[in-house]
Amino acid sequence: MSFGASNPEYVNGRVRSRRASLFADEDYRKLIRMGPSGIARFMEESEYEREINQLGTRFSGVDLIEYALNQNLAKHFDDLLDWSEGRLYDLIARYLRKFDVWNIKTIIRGVYTDTPADEIETDLIRAGEIDDATLDRALEADTVEDVVEIFNRTIFHDALESAYEEYEESGALVPLENALDREFYERLIEDLSGSYDLSFTEPQSGPEALYVEFLQAEIDFRNARNALRLARSGADLEPTEYYIEGGVLFDRSELSRLVTDYDELVDHIAESKRYGDRLSSALTRLREAESLIQFEHALDAALLEYSDTLSSIYPVSVSAVLSYILAKEREVENIRAIARGREVGLSESEIEEELVIL
Amino acid sequence: MAEDVKPTRKNLMEIEDRIDLSERGHGTLEKKRDGLIMEFMDILDKAQDVRGELSDDYEEAQKKINMARAMEGDVAVRGAAAALQEHPEITTESKNIMGVVVPQIESSRVSKSLDERGYGIMGTSARIDEAAEAYEDLLESIILAAEVETAMKKMLREIETTKRRVNALEFKLLPELYENQEYIEQKLEEQEREETFRLKKIKEKKEQEEREEREAEADAAADEPEMEQATAGGVPGN
Repeated sequence: MSFGASNPEYVNGRVRSRRASLFADEDYRKLIRMGPSGIARFMEESEYEREINQLGTRFSGVDLIEYALNQNLAKHFDDLLDWSEGRLYDLIARYLRKFDVWNIKTIIRGVYTDTPADEIETDLIRAGEIDDATLDRALEADTVEDVVEIFNRTIFHDALESAYEEYEESGALVPLENALDREFYERLIEDLSGSYDLSFTEPQSGPEALYVEFLQAEIDFRNARNALRLARSGADLEPTEYYIEGGVLFDRSELSRLVTDYDELVDHIAESKRYGDRLSSALTRLREAESLIQFEHALDAALLEYSDTLSSIYPVSVSAVLSYILAKEREVENIRAIARGREVGLSESEIEEELVIL
Repeated sequence: MAEDVKPTRKNLMEIEDRIDLSERGHGTLEKKRDGLIMEFMDILDKAQDVRGELSDDYEEAQKKINMARAMEGDVAVRGAAAALQEHPEITTESKNIMGVVVPQIESSRVSKSLDERGYGIMGTSARIDEAAEAYEDLLESIILAAEVETAMKKMLREIETTKRRVNALEFKLLPELYENQEYIEQKLEEQEREETFRLKKIKEKKEQEEREEREAEADAAADEPEMEQATAGGVPGN
């Protein structure tokens, strides 16, 4: 963790102008009525102009939109890391490391399946902390072992190295991918536990407390998703292996017990002081529905509710920056969902109901 | 063609044997055809059900993957798919339905549990799980449909062949054999009649000859006393 001077005022000033260029709700309503080519044209006249023009010769249709969105997202998030310093950098980087995890996973999967480096490269989202040179070197690796070795200067190396043995035994990527995700989630909140009592179910005050509360929600929701997926799958898996430390909703033994009883697991989430009310309607649907998708949709919406409160309460803090990161991610997800939804022939109402979170 | 057959008794016997065999073969093939049709109807019902399920599964899988592509992004879905290198295994055995060898396809490692799909559980979502599950179900349906439809096609081909054989026996071979049989029988009867007539003629001719012979002898006998008389009276001048 970096303890140098932090510059939240400067970063927030830059972020405010970036936030202003985000699509408004009425833009989504316009996009919902357009086809993929219309959406691409609309993007060409917006913030995404450079990426659409740059990628227009290589891709077309919704692929062009998706790659342009990813590239634009990477550019913005990379800028955030460039601007921020000290503790602010550390707090932002914690969250943006999810893109490092994404990139490492993508490279490992590509090398595992002998995909050409240029094809793997197009799927990378260079928004994390790992520098481009390291990613480029990893793209040229011949084996998964080489990839693990190339990332030896990153925080993920130890986790990858200890999971590598299991990967060699099983031949499946699951241990490596799980190790990466666990490392990301556990490092999200690492060290912050010294400042905040994480066992509290009620949020404390201050911008970082709000930030911690958001990260706890992220971890809790991830644990809840995984627990429900394990409970639904009926697979003989050890739930504690998938438990992520740092949340307030479950402890390890509780999760282990609840996974065996699906109804009790849902009751446990419903009874939670922090999330019960927020997720009540989704939980009711979850009890009735076969699919977890609606519940995941509700979790995403609940996380975004957090992000809205983050920016309004402490406008010059890491919370406001995180709020912008989430808003940008939401924009990318919404545009992609609209374009893909239109491509596969979903109606406007279906896209609005099932995909877009406004 | 009946005219090509030599109308001999040996051929008639051969043709009668062939008629007997063909009639028995025709009966057996008819029973086989009817049996195959009944089996085919059962398989057809099953194939229609399987087709319906396959179509439903395909729609469901498409819907799930479209949702996953929309919400997670195409890149994420492709990435999750790339995390699995192992392919399902398919083994084929065969079973016999009324003499028709149809395949029996056994599949393994199609439906996978959450930890067998290659991608990490902690960083993915239920959308990807559901899309993967829907495609596993679709693959199971495709394998079942392949088994049932191949059996159906083979049965159909066999029914067609059997029907052709039954028809060939019924409308071509047996009528020809009957015609040949009739032809030979007629010819033989004709020959018999000719033979009888010939024998009758020979007999008549023989009798005629005998009669003529006898008459000649009688005439000769009548002439003999006159000669003797003339010899006994001598010639008056000597």
